[in-house]
Amino acid sequence: MRRSGMNKLLVEPAAVATGDIAFNLIVFFLVCASTQPDRGRKQDIPSSQQTKAEQKQENTEILVTKTGIVMNGAAVRANELPGRLAIHFKGKPRPDDRVVVIKTRPDTPYSNWISVTSMVQDAGGSITIQREEEKTVTVGN
Amino acid sequence: MKADVPATAMGDIAFNLLIFFVILARANDDSHLKWNPAEAQNLEGSKGAKVTVVIDIDGKIYLNGQQQSETELSDGISKELGDASAGNRVVYLKIDKNVTAPRFEPVIEAVSQAGGELIHILNEDHAPPAPPPAKSAAAVAPASP
Repeated sequence: MRRSGMNKLLVEPAAVATGDIAFNLIVFFLVCASTQPDRGRKQDIPSSQQTKAEQKQENTEILVTKTGIVMNGAAVRANELPGRLAIHFKGKPRPDDRVVVIKTRPDTPYSNWISVTSMVQDAGGSITIQREEEKTVTVGN
Repeated sequence: MKADVPATAMGDIAFNLLIFFVILARANDDSHLKWNPAEAQNLEGSKGAKVTVVIDIDGKIYLNGQQQSETELSDGISKELGDASAGNRVVYLKIDKNVTAPRFEPVIEAVSQAGGELIHILNEDHAPPAPPPAKSAAAVAPASP
């Protein structure tokens, strides 16, 4: 006579598969974890000799502060800046005439700085950074 | 008599090797650093960089995942770039959006001095584009009869 439940066997997962499952889980989580952005904006940096040459001429100046933008001494709204730059660069096909000196205050955040420099680049301008100690670095379009 | 390598052990060996290499890779990785990317429009994809400079939320500077002082940064970048040709001197710049100018400007300068090709890593800004420039009063005013 057969007892009821005798044909219910304990089935264990194959031990060989455990390693493979762990491996695949690690690969899955590694791929999921790498969500850092990899897109950006390029800024070409000309040689220092070119920078010195550009310092001699009069350029457009933009002061980026924590709360606003000042272009050649006049306050400008962020959404108006591309239009102002387009007007300013009109009739200036040479890159040397399109140099914009970017000045900052000690409390200027990077978010404001990159926003303004992006607008200048999109308008066709070349960026020159002017630091407090009057040391300049030119950043091209 | 034939001696087989136990198949169970192979999985464990592979697992441990993987953990080992992941930990090793993290030493030169910057994924553990905390920084909030700024936003901008018209971003481009890039193929990868030899050097990554991060300024985290605390304003600390990291060169390829290793903390670096501002003064040593230019030399560090030069060393990492070596004599790589143009096009292979890409430097990723990952700056927290709230970092202020006295901290990020010297870093940009250091990349410039080292001859790096700078790419600011940012998030895409999906805000609508800026309106066209306002027309002058003369252009807007209707023509007189």
